[in-house]
Amino acid sequence: MSGAEAVVAKLVAKFPSLTGRVNAQRATRVWVEVDRQAFAGVFHFLVKDLEFSNLCMITGLDEGADLGFIYHLARNGGLMANVKTRCPKGESMQTITPTFPGGGIYERELTDLFGARIAGLPEGRRYPLPDNWPKGEHPLLKDWKPREKGAQDA
Amino acid sequence: MVRWGQRKSPWILHFNTGACNACDIEIIAALTPRFDLERFGVLLKGTPRHCDIMACSGPVTRQIESRLVRIYEQVPEPKLVVAVGSCATSGGVFRGLYNVKSGIDQVIPVAAYIPGCPASPQAIIDGFAKLLKTLEEGR
Amino acid sequence: MPDKERIVRVPIGPQHPALKEPESFMVDLQGEKISAVTLRLGYNHRGIEKGCEERTYVQDVYLVERVCGICSQSHSTAFVQAVEEIAGLELPRRAAYIRTLIAELERVHSHLLWLGVAGHEIGFDTLLMYTWRDRELVMDLLAELTGNRVHYGLNTVGGVRRDISPEQIPSILKVVDALEERTKYYIELAMTEETLAQRLSGIGKLSKEDAVLLGAVGPTARASGVDRDTRRDDPYAAYGELQFQVVTDDRCDVFGRTVVRLGELMQTYSMIRQLVKQMPDGPITVKAPLRIPAGEAVSRYEAPRGEDVHYVKANGTDKPERVKIRAPTLANTQSVAKMLEDGYLADLPIVVAAIDPCFSCTDRMIAVKTPEDARTMGWEELVQYGVRWYRERSVDVSKIKMRGDSAA
Repeated sequence: MSGAEAVVAKLVAKFPSLTGRVNAQRATRVWVEVDRQAFAGVFHFLVKDLEFSNLCMITGLDEGADLGFIYHLARNGGLMANVKTRCPKGESMQTITPTFPGGGIYERELTDLFGARIAGLPEGRRYPLPDNWPKGEHPLLKDWKPREKGAQDA
Repeated sequence: MVRWGQRKSPWILHFNTGACNACDIEIIAALTPRFDLERFGVLLKGTPRHCDIMACSGPVTRQIESRLVRIYEQVPEPKLVVAVGSCATSGGVFRGLYNVKSGIDQVIPVAAYIPGCPASPQAIIDGFAKLLKTLEEGR
Repeated sequence: MPDKERIVRVPIGPQHPALKEPESFMVDLQGEKISAVTLRLGYNHRGIEKGCEERTYVQDVYLVERVCGICSQSHSTAFVQAVEEIAGLELPRRAAYIRTLIAELERVHSHLLWLGVAGHEIGFDTLLMYTWRDRELVMDLLAELTGNRVHYGLNTVGGVRRDISPEQIPSILKVVDALEERTKYYIELAMTEETLAQRLSGIGKLSKEDAVLLGAVGPTARASGVDRDTRRDDPYAAYGELQFQVVTDDRCDVFGRTVVRLGELMQTYSMIRQLVKQMPDGPITVKAPLRIPAGEAVSRYEAPRGEDVHYVKANGTDKPERVKIRAPTLANTQSVAKMLEDGYLADLPIVVAAIDPCFSCTDRMIAVKTPEDARTMGWEELVQYGVRWYRERSVDVSKIKMRGDSAA
C-alpha cells in the first residue's frame, strides 16, 4: 500500500462520510473533497493526527455561485494531501492562521484576487494587488475583464 | 562640461519596474569582469540624485508606476532613460496582462530601447555605447 | 532605556540599490535594534495566473518560464509536469535527464549569483566579482546547450525541444570540473576567513521550530536543520535515479544558509556527472494533445530557492482552467520578519538577501507611510551605515559577540 493509499484508508476510517470522495491519484498525492461544515474536522485530523505539518498554498477557484478552495498540505517524506471544499460567494471561510501562522498570505491572495471572505484573518497589508486597485474588482473571477486601457488607473 | 561628463562617464541608476529579473541580472553581469562596463566609465549608482541615465527593466506594474515617476523626477537634468529588455520596450510576454502598463514609455519618456529576453550583456553594452555616441554627435 | 528611546520608522524600498527587485519594508527601530517589520509585497505582480487562462498550454510554457529570470527552468518544468500528469503522458527517460541537467545547471548559476549578491550585501564586492566571473562559465554552457543564458525555452508538454549532442558532453564536464575547483575555494574562504564567518554568524536566526511553523523552504529551511528537499522526498524528472545528499546545517543563521548553498553546489556537480554518464538513449518527446482532458494535478519542484508548487486544472480545451503558482520566496518571506526581530538594522540587507529572495517569483502579478517625526534613510546610506558600524567594532572582537548589550 502506498503512502497515499494508507492516508486514504485512515481518512475513510475516521470520516465514513468521505467514502467515494477521497482518492490516491498517485503514490504521493491524496485528494479529498469535503463539505464546508466538515472541513475543519478533516483539516485538523490531517494536520495533527496524520502530521501534514506543511501548508504549501491555498488555490482559489471560481465555480460560479461558489468559490472553490484547495488547501495543499504536505508532510515529511513527500506526501501531499489536497483538501477541496467550497463556499458560496459572499460567505466566509475560517482562517487557518492559528494552525499555520505563515498561511495568512495565501488567504490574503484569495481575498484580493477572488473577493473571498476569510473570518479571523489578522490585519495586514493587502497582497498582491496595488493600493490603488479599484474596490470590488477581483481579477481572477471568470467574468472579470480589464476595462478600457487606462480606465483602471485611480 | 556636464555634457562631457555625461558622455564620458555616465552614471546609471538601475530600476526594476516589475521584471522577471533576467534583464536586471544581465545589467549587473555587464559590470562584472567578463563584460566590464566600468571600463567605459559607466558606474552603477544607488541614488537618483547622482545618475545621468536610468536603466529600467520590466513592464511597469501598477504598484510601481507612481514610484517610477517619482524616481524619474528626482533625477537631475540632463537625464536619459533606457528601456532594457523586451518587457521594458513593449511589455514582452506580459503585454496586456491586467497589472502591467506594457512598457516604460507608457509612463516616462525613453531615449533608447535595448531588446532581448533577456537583453544580453553584449546587447546592453552595445545599446549604451550607441546612446553615448549619439550624445557625442550632439543628438 | 529602551522604552524611552524614540521609535524610528525607516521605510526601505521599493527602489534601492541593494536588492535587485522592488519590495518595501517598514522597519521600526529602537536605537539600532529592529523591534518590528512589516513587509509590503506585490510590486512584481503582473497578472500571470490570469494570463495563463487566456493563453494555450504551449504559450503558457513561455509565459510561466518568465515568472522568474533566474529560475525559469524551475517554473517551466513544474508547469509542464502538472500538465503531463493530467494528460497521462509518460515522459521519455532521456527527456527527464535533459530537464534535470538544465535544472541542476540552473542551480549552479543561481547559487553562484547568490554568493556574489551576499558578498555585495556585506561590502565584500571582490566576492561579487569573483563569483559572477565564475558564473559566466555556466552561463556560456547553458547558452551552448539551450540557445539562451536564461529562459531556455527547453521544455514542451511531453518532453524537451533540444537534445544534448555527444560533442557537448566534454564542455559540460569541463565546466563542472572548473567550477568545482572554484567552489572548493569559496568553501575554504567561508571556513577560514574569520571576518566573513563573524559577519554572517548569529544573524538572521530562525529556529528549527519556527522554520517549520512559518513554512520555510529550501536552503533557508535546511540551514535551520529542517531535512526537506523535494528532489529526494517527492522525486520528479530523473532525480529518482541519482545519488545525492540533502545538505542541512544546524546553525540556523545566515552563515548556515551560506554553508548549505555551498554544499549543494558540490552535490550538484556530482549529480551533473551522473546525469551525463547515465544519460539514456531514446526519444526526447512524446506526442502531446493540444486539448488537455479535464483533470487536475499538483507538481512540486526543488528550485534553487526552495519548493516551487504548481497546480493546474484542465477542462478539455487547449487553455487551462486554472494555474496556481506558489514560488519558494513567498513561503520564505513569512520567516523574514522573525529573522529580523531583535536584530540590528545594519544586518537587514544580508538577512533578507540570505533567503535569496526572488520577488518576481513571488508576486507575479510596496506604500510607505512616514510619520512626521521620522528620519528617512536611503538604502545606500543604510548599507554604508552597516559597513561603518561593523568596521568600528571590528577593532574589538569581543564587541561583535555581545549582541544583547545596549552598546547601540
